[in-house]
Amino acid sequence: MIETSSLPAASPWAWRQWPRETRDVLFLLAVVAWITAPHFAHVPLWCSTLTCVVLIWRAQLALVQGKLPARWMVVGVLVLAVALTAYTQRSLMGKEAGLTLLVLLVALKTLELRARRDAMVVFFLGFFIVLTQCFYSQSLASALGMVVAAWGLLTALVMANMPVGRPALARAAGIAARTSLLGLPVMAALFLLFPRIGPLWGLPQDAQGRSGLSGTLRMGGVADLAMDDTIAFRVRFKGPPPPSEALYFRGPVLTRFDGQEWQASLFATDRDPSRPLDLRITGTPVRYEMLLEPPRMALIPLLEATPMLPTFDPPLVDDTPWFGRDMMWRTERPVMMRLHLTAQAWPHHALGVTPNLRELQASRFLPTGFNPRTLAWAQALRERLGPVDERTVAAALMAHISQANYVYTLQPGLYGNDAIDSFWLDRREGFCEHYASAFVVIMRALGVPARIVTGYQGAEQPDADGYRVVRQSHAHAWAEYWVPGAGWQRADPTAAVAPERVRTSRALVAPPGLVAGALQSMNPALLARLRQAWELMDSRWSQWVMTYSRGDQFDLLKKVGVKEPDWADVSRALVIVFSAAAVAGAAWAAWDRRRQDPWQRLQRRLCKRLQGVGVPASAHLGPRALAELVRQVHGEAGQALATLLEDLERQRYAPGGQRLPGRQWWPQVARALRRLPNR
Amino acid sequence: MRSRLRAWLENRLPRSDSWVLTQRNLYILPTAAGWGFCGTLLVMLLASINYQLNLGYGLTFLLGGAALVSMHQTHGNLRRLVLHIKAPAPAFAGESATLEVVLDNAHGERFGIGLGWHDGPRQEIAYCDVPAQGQAMVHLRWAPPRRGLLNLPTVVVASHFPLGLFRTWTVWRPAATMLVYPAPEPDAPPLPASTGGHDGQWPARRGASGEFDGVRAYRRGDALRQLVWKKVARTGELVSREDAGSASRAIRIDAADAGLADVEARLSRLTAWVLQAQRQGQVFAFVLPGLNLPAAPADEQAPQALQALALWPQVVRA
Repeated sequence: MIETSSLPAASPWAWRQWPRETRDVLFLLAVVAWITAPHFAHVPLWCSTLTCVVLIWRAQLALVQGKLPARWMVVGVLVLAVALTAYTQRSLMGKEAGLTLLVLLVALKTLELRARRDAMVVFFLGFFIVLTQCFYSQSLASALGMVVAAWGLLTALVMANMPVGRPALARAAGIAARTSLLGLPVMAALFLLFPRIGPLWGLPQDAQGRSGLSGTLRMGGVADLAMDDTIAFRVRFKGPPPPSEALYFRGPVLTRFDGQEWQASLFATDRDPSRPLDLRITGTPVRYEMLLEPPRMALIPLLEATPMLPTFDPPLVDDTPWFGRDMMWRTERPVMMRLHLTAQAWPHHALGVTPNLRELQASRFLPTGFNPRTLAWAQALRERLGPVDERTVAAALMAHISQANYVYTLQPGLYGNDAIDSFWLDRREGFCEHYASAFVVIMRALGVPARIVTGYQGAEQPDADGYRVVRQSHAHAWAEYWVPGAGWQRADPTAAVAPERVRTSRALVAPPGLVAGALQSMNPALLARLRQAWELMDSRWSQWVMTYSRGDQFDLLKKVGVKEPDWADVSRALVIVFSAAAVAGAAWAAWDRRRQDPWQRLQRRLCKRLQGVGVPASAHLGPRALAELVRQVHGEAGQALATLLEDLERQRYAPGGQRLPGRQWWPQVARALRRLPNR
Repeated sequence: MRSRLRAWLENRLPRSDSWVLTQRNLYILPTAAGWGFCGTLLVMLLASINYQLNLGYGLTFLLGGAALVSMHQTHGNLRRLVLHIKAPAPAFAGESATLEVVLDNAHGERFGIGLGWHDGPRQEIAYCDVPAQGQAMVHLRWAPPRRGLLNLPTVVVASHFPLGLFRTWTVWRPAATMLVYPAPEPDAPPLPASTGGHDGQWPARRGASGEFDGVRAYRRGDALRQLVWKKVARTGELVSREDAGSASRAIRIDAADAGLADVEARLSRLTAWVLQAQRQGQVFAFVLPGLNLPAAPADEQAPQALQALALWPQVVRA
């Protein structure tokens, strides 16, 4: 242990002089802060503030070694917290409310660290909170963060079980690491072979909390997404990749407009087989492979147009995606797992050439009383253009956008009630959703069926494995309008104002943070390379570890020779592995129990044989005493044996002598024994 | 019923002064915290299954593996440890005696080993660490309940290092015995009067009494008033007056003089007298029914007398 008293009083290592109690509590508080901090993004502000306040208060109490607050006080804060949770989350059930309470509970429990049991409660709550981080992210970074958290908790647990003295933190951390590392084989076996069964009960609705795309669109909604730099999926093309400006990954199509908000078409989910979807494909398909982070929505954003069911590897468990009339793939339930799929897309396609009158009707509808100036502007355009076809109208609109001083920005500010009026005619600042919705509203005002399509556009440059990252910041909104005889045509008004957004696939970039900004200005290439290397590792992590599923388990069993494995075989394999380990352990234990000093073994063997010839030998007697007994019992006949025993005595106790007799000694003894009469 | 079962189990154990901890005498069970941890892991597993979180599976199994390893580590923390108990010095009933237990470790370092009495409360546990290839000594306090030659109480050695999820323990019955003297009576009446050498075996060793008081080096048990304070102050050495006067006036401590009906109370009074005589450096004779110790100087006589008192009615011939 470190000699604390030898350090100068004003040493920067003041923590070394803290009493053990203070140091342990502060360490535990640091661990609790580490595990709760990632949740601050998901719990209400009051909860994170209260948690911080409680932790800092407790740290201060530990530093001055003050008295812990009375129980009624803690209970009071808890009641207040429950009330606030019920008020802000409108429920005490559900994931978000539960998490809010959990974070607060663990912080409040630190105010009550009186007995060992209290500390244990903190540990158990802590482990569970660490797990809940997986709800939000399973990336390599969060995995590393969780490893640190688990290590910290285990260290604190080890510390709590070292009651003597003031063991160094590093020592406890070493013991915790050793324990976990020794447990890795168990973990690996369980991870590989624990049967992956589907959800045991229906997922609560709040599981959809975070998503790349929302099913609705309101001015400002996509801006929030654009700030989200997390990865939505990775795509890899087999063969020549299509140009970036052709990479449109299709999400929900929004048709219904109430003047404020766009919502999904009611016709899209029509599965009536008597009205098949009219999609005509031509040309050669593009084959591609995708690695999706859990979409957490009942949809799979695929490249336009992917009409055939992709091959899922691992297969989707009891859920078959289906192709909606809006050309989007839907699932029955929100997809909560990572997906790995291969599919084919036909860039040349025609959708909805045969008119579906009800759908077209809905795509022309505009609510009355909203955006009157834009509608008037549209009428003026109609009069100026005269009777022209839909394509000409669209081209005129695009030309207007590129020429009339429109600005592409991520911070357009808030728009009021007639959002499109003030965007289109006054401020002219906005991003994809502003342009798309203005475009659609004007097309509709001109009598052309039009709708908004949301999804992802573009992808980053390929990494070493050829995967191209698509982030949440690639979320995009574009438009489609209907042309008789040609079907739905894509129009991306954002391309008219910010062509580089579409052409070079530059994602919507929010201003960088302080550190990233500094690094960027110093050495942009290094930052890009670091980021690329990290994302490559992250990609492999999600590809090999996080998408591990039932299919991979079956493949594993096939490799060891099981034909057509099912989940029962997986469980059986698990049982076999653990039984084998248990048998090996038992065998070792049995061997360990018998393991004894070779000298003792020799002595026991000798006693047994001597008793066979009537010598009352017992284990505590040395060879010389045994020799004496042999002489007493057998007299002259035992002389040879007695001499051998005395040899043994000399050999054992001679300075520098061997501990054990040579190889010929025992056969000689056996011969001498045989010559003696049995009694 | 429970305590009888416990006593029966305890009595089946062999008594031994050194106790080698092996798989045969080490027990291990999950603690309450262990069950709590098990519950936490189950909840975590359920969450992972329901939300299909591979990372959640990973974390749950990591902790599960660590818990399993910790079971072996907890057991290994005590296995192959060798315990010795030192033959304890005699003590008085009701006063707490200190017993020394030595933990002998021929293997790696061990942490948080708790020792306590089997029938004692769980909180009264002395914890120690044992260095690798080393020894640790633990002092256990024990108040003998009665006089006599008592077996040492059963010791429990337990550990829940490293994670506290399991508790491993062994129950050890030391073979060593302890001589426990009767508790001396508080505020006992003064010593019986001098009998003036009435048994004749202790003649006036130094001629006429009070003629010359010699000096000698201080011996334990010398009364404070026996010290030659002037000489002590001058030389710094403790010097006692050879109190020939008191030595020559041998007294007799006799059970018959104790005058109490209750046997134990009488033994307590006799104990108090013996101690008193020892403090005063008295020469005394000691008589119990069936035992007659002739007069001898207190330092020689007292241990024998006390032993006789401890063991009475078993008679020990001097």
